[in-house]
Amino acid sequence: MRRYPTWPIHLALLLTACVMLVPFYWVFKTSITGENIFSYPPSLLPVDPQPFFYVDAWYAIPFPRFFLNSVIVAVMVIVANLFINAAAGYALTKNFAGKRWIILLFLACMMIPFHATIIPAYLITAKLGLLNSYLGLGLPAFSHIICIFIFKASFDAIPPSLIQAAKIDGVPERDIMLKIMLPLAKPAVATTIILSFIWSWNDFLWPLIIVRDVEMQTLPLGLSTFLAYFEDTTGALYAFCTMVLAPGLLVFLLAQKEFIQGLTSGARKG
Amino acid sequence: MATASTSSHQSRIGGGRTVAPSARRGLFARKRHRELALIWVLLIPALAIFLLYRVIPLLWNVVLSFQFWSPTKPSEWAGLYHYEEMWVYDDVFWEALTNTFKYMLTAPIAIILAIGLALMVNSRIRGRTVYRTIIFMSYPLMVVAVGIIWRWLYDENVGLINYLLRSLGIIDRPIAFLETFATALPSVIAAAIWQIIGFFMIILLTGLQNIPPNLYEAASIDGASRWSQFWRITLPLLRPSIFLCFIIGIIASFTSFDLIYVMTGGGPGHATELLITYIYKAAFTLTQFDYAGALTVVMFVLFVGLALIANALAGGEAGKVDIAD
Amino acid sequence: MEGWKGWLVNRVTITFGLIAIVTVGWNLYVRAHNDGILEGEVVDAGGQPVADATVILNEQTLVSLAPIAETTTNENGSFNFLKHDRHKVVLTVAKPGAGASDRILVRLYFRNQNHTLPDPIILQPRG
Repeated sequence: MRRYPTWPIHLALLLTACVMLVPFYWVFKTSITGENIFSYPPSLLPVDPQPFFYVDAWYAIPFPRFFLNSVIVAVMVIVANLFINAAAGYALTKNFAGKRWIILLFLACMMIPFHATIIPAYLITAKLGLLNSYLGLGLPAFSHIICIFIFKASFDAIPPSLIQAAKIDGVPERDIMLKIMLPLAKPAVATTIILSFIWSWNDFLWPLIIVRDVEMQTLPLGLSTFLAYFEDTTGALYAFCTMVLAPGLLVFLLAQKEFIQGLTSGARKG
Repeated sequence: MATASTSSHQSRIGGGRTVAPSARRGLFARKRHRELALIWVLLIPALAIFLLYRVIPLLWNVVLSFQFWSPTKPSEWAGLYHYEEMWVYDDVFWEALTNTFKYMLTAPIAIILAIGLALMVNSRIRGRTVYRTIIFMSYPLMVVAVGIIWRWLYDENVGLINYLLRSLGIIDRPIAFLETFATALPSVIAAAIWQIIGFFMIILLTGLQNIPPNLYEAASIDGASRWSQFWRITLPLLRPSIFLCFIIGIIASFTSFDLIYVMTGGGPGHATELLITYIYKAAFTLTQFDYAGALTVVMFVLFVGLALIANALAGGEAGKVDIAD
Repeated sequence: MEGWKGWLVNRVTITFGLIAIVTVGWNLYVRAHNDGILEGEVVDAGGQPVADATVILNEQTLVSLAPIAETTTNENGSFNFLKHDRHKVVLTVAKPGAGASDRILVRLYFRNQNHTLPDPIILQPRG
């Protein structure tokens, strides 16, 4: 077979990689120099870098509070998703009357994007008295249908003989689920954690609608409020932007394999 | 499945023992009862959330769209008033609708680029995993932050894009990309493509890797060129993945609220208004919940219609891509 | 790695451990250096220390300078502020008859950081 030279591929991929990375670099550079906010032409390399915009941003906004809010909501959503989806996924591996209808209902719900429900969802949350609260922020994301089906698929893949053997040995149903099936469903657990983390961490529209106080703002909401106040005249905005991006980027780089796998299997988000 | 085989197994054992058949049946029925109860207990939390935040809101939206309603006033039957208002008088609605369709262009452009990228990172070159990571990296990031980054890149005076275009001599005076009617929407679309392309690349890459290699071997023995291999083997077998990307793109055009809100706020005028941003404005800045409800119903119907069409075009295959492995 | 070692030592725990250590270390450093002592020296155009010059510590607002605290230099030309409670201040120095200084922008790494100005502030005769 004829061998093709690989350098054109490398060139094209390097260019793409540059296009993907340069925006990050540009914002990071602005956050440590701020110099080209007022100057033209902008210099491509950081001139005279200093961390003071980060100090400004730190004192201009309650960053730890925003961060904490985001973490609280994300942890709540992840835990709820694990339990609720694993439970529902497990139930769907059984045979019972009405199973078909339940599955149909779930599939139909997948066709309803959350964005098409925001107005009544807001009114319902208000009726429940959950506006401006952590529970209100997390509740609509407590279960993702795609994760239920991922759990169902992974439970279905567990050989029935294994469970039969356990049942004959008199292991109670609860222990079968917690001690046999859940460990075997590790990939589904990882996917659920990643999907619910990403969707809760990055969520913006829902907090924007139901959060009233600054103390309850999550990171994306805090960032957009900061933008509205300071426009783009200040390096502090880009420092804040970098501070907001950093945790997500760090988590992604630490678990990139799981991320890529999880997000592709969650591609059909409902 | 599991339950059925278990029960038959157990009754076989039971038959071999000296247990009275009726007692045996009673025991079994009670067990079956408890199992059913357990199933429903396990299902209830998920069902409750979907009822509360999917099914009820959807129906409520429909009801709302036929009413005059605001949080302070009692509701009143409105008939088709809101729909008529939208259809006949509301120019912004039509602009938002057109923009939503234009925004769908994100998908085909990103898919074409992503096919190229997927083919490249699928070839046996050094550092392909690094390339994959870098290209994918933008996808899971917070859209709000991404929007702010792109605002900055598009800036009229000191933005990198204007600087590059000017130093390359393509334009001689800076363009305020996000403040100009003609360029605002394409600029936002470019940012959207930037963010989603890595995701499409990974989906298509998974599709590529699922194509059996012996097809290519057979084709090259038959003397087919790489070009015709691409058109005859790769593309047809990638079809499910491509349609999956397409559907994701359609969903994105209905849900890309964050990017628009941060980058342009729907402006200038309503040049980048999408249905979802218009719904948000109608409901939460103008507090016309009833009208926003009607807008939502239209958006939802449109969404379901397009999703069904796309699925039919894919021959019902779009959902069948096995990307979980 | 096998067993508990794999759970205890992996890239996740190492990364977050490092972050925790840096955070704790930084906070200890801040604790030890946040008395808010801002020190400096004022000299005239010839480099001689200036006594009895008025040093004003200002906060930069969007449009103007808002004075926060005021002090005078001693016979060595040095001055200090205590508990300034700011992370970014502007110093202005003036002495009737001897002139005034430029605005000196002082940026600190954290609020109330102890800081000694590296260069003396120079008074220039103003017309």
